[in-house]
Amino acid sequence: MWKKPWNLKEGFLVGGGLLVAGLLLQVTIGPINWDLFAAPVNYVMLALLLALVGAMYLLRRKVYAFEWMMHFQAAIPCLCYAVGLTILMGLTPQTRQGGIPWLSQMLQFWPFVLIWTWMMVIAGLATLNHLLRWKWREIPFIINHLGVFLAVTCATLGSADLKQLEMTVHGDSPEWRAVDEAGNGQEPGLAIELHRFIMDVYEDGSPKRFASDITVYTEDGKSVSGTVDVNKPLKVNGWKIYQYDYDARRGPESEYSVFMLVRDPWLPAVYLGIFLMLAGAACLMFFMAPKTKKV
Amino acid sequence: MSWDLFVWFALGAVLCWASGAFFAWKGRSALVYAFTLAGLLIFFAFILGMWISLERPPLKTMGETRLWYSFFLPLAGIIVYGRWRYKWILSFSTVLSLVFICVNLLKPGIHSKTLMPALQSPWFAPHVIVYMFSYAMLGAATLMAVYLLFFRKKASEVDMNITDNLVYVGLAFLTFGMLFGALWAKEAWGHYWAWDPKETWAAITWLCYLVYLHFRKARPAEWRTACWILLFSLVCLQICWWGINYLPSAHINSMHTY
Repeated sequence: MWKKPWNLKEGFLVGGGLLVAGLLLQVTIGPINWDLFAAPVNYVMLALLLALVGAMYLLRRKVYAFEWMMHFQAAIPCLCYAVGLTILMGLTPQTRQGGIPWLSQMLQFWPFVLIWTWMMVIAGLATLNHLLRWKWREIPFIINHLGVFLAVTCATLGSADLKQLEMTVHGDSPEWRAVDEAGNGQEPGLAIELHRFIMDVYEDGSPKRFASDITVYTEDGKSVSGTVDVNKPLKVNGWKIYQYDYDARRGPESEYSVFMLVRDPWLPAVYLGIFLMLAGAACLMFFMAPKTKKV
Repeated sequence: MSWDLFVWFALGAVLCWASGAFFAWKGRSALVYAFTLAGLLIFFAFILGMWISLERPPLKTMGETRLWYSFFLPLAGIIVYGRWRYKWILSFSTVLSLVFICVNLLKPGIHSKTLMPALQSPWFAPHVIVYMFSYAMLGAATLMAVYLLFFRKKASEVDMNITDNLVYVGLAFLTFGMLFGALWAKEAWGHYWAWDPKETWAAITWLCYLVYLHFRKARPAEWRTACWILLFSLVCLQICWWGINYLPSAHINSMHTY
């Protein structure tokens, strides 16, 4: 144990150490409050994470643990812990509050977040290692690891800046007030006027289509008209406006329409990660799969 | 096309696939291809017929996804046979496909024309079809693992090479399915990832196959552990696909219930 080269066993111990550290943090500080990560804190955190990965890379010859962390021996135990904790999450009903202590708010549970962070550090180190020792044939490896790093890191840090508001608009007058997920009143800086609520039903009465003809007025004096359908949101001033709900008791006769307004400044970074992962998956199949051996 | 005709199409397809599997043991590869492809054509004709008569892609209900799974399994089988001449794979894929056909015959599900607005999207077909193809590939990889662990009790480099290839292709499609889902969720629900129970289990399944991939690279000689990882991964995959409906976590607020 702890004799070089470190192997899977050491990896499972390091992961266990992170679990213990996470539990201690959970007991002392309490659950992670992601609201504290709202900009500019999340930009600082991203810079710190990148600096950490860079520093670990530079110190790899001095600190053996950092060298070890670039390789399978660290990645495998880390992935196993991530599987275990995510299974716990999948088995526990997730609620905003209450439920089973710690497990029902897994995204705020320190051990879960530490293990996923560790995974991102490993992915980051592996990316850097292959980027700086450039070989053309390692491009698929880089795309895959960089893609996951970008998508997961930016989705997590960006979640603090994500705004999802619900706005109920009646037919008689424009609406500018909305409520957030916690039920607090919010003003997104635009108003929606509902011209017409459209609804088609199937023979059995189940909804076939529901949509709204609306005009959106923005604070800077723009007005945008359009139809918002399910699966076809309208984009105005950095907000995406979704058809969300209606008066289900009245169906096609609904006098109001409910919209969801979403703003996610980190989306382009996450999408870059997702597109890299898609390209990486194609590479996985065509370039990374082991060559066929004949019987 | 009506669902009542399913039993006849299924019977025709399974007979073809079984003949293909039989000729694989006899080493008559031309007949293997002919029968297997004929079976696939018959089965796909039924799927296409359902698509036309329902006026929507038949991908909504569990029964409809099983339909695609039964179709993709022999397809995965014939690909493995074509590349490696593995003679028993078609027998296994035919039997597994038959199991899912029988489930569909016993529990057909509802096949109405209705398609809720959230599902009316260009992403619908690629998201589900890509997933079903991936499940079939990973199912075939698991068949390999079961065969090696419990029947042959040893594994050559070639055996694990086949298993690896199935997992690489399966994982690639699993990634496509998951990310298509994310891009679709952004358009339909406003956010690309909400840790909905189905999404959580999709992430678990994806991570499991990553464990397999990394483990094979790190410890190529330990094929037994690798095969056990595949069995465990398939359990997670099945929970993600349908087992989730029986978990307490999903009942509360899964948006993936249709």
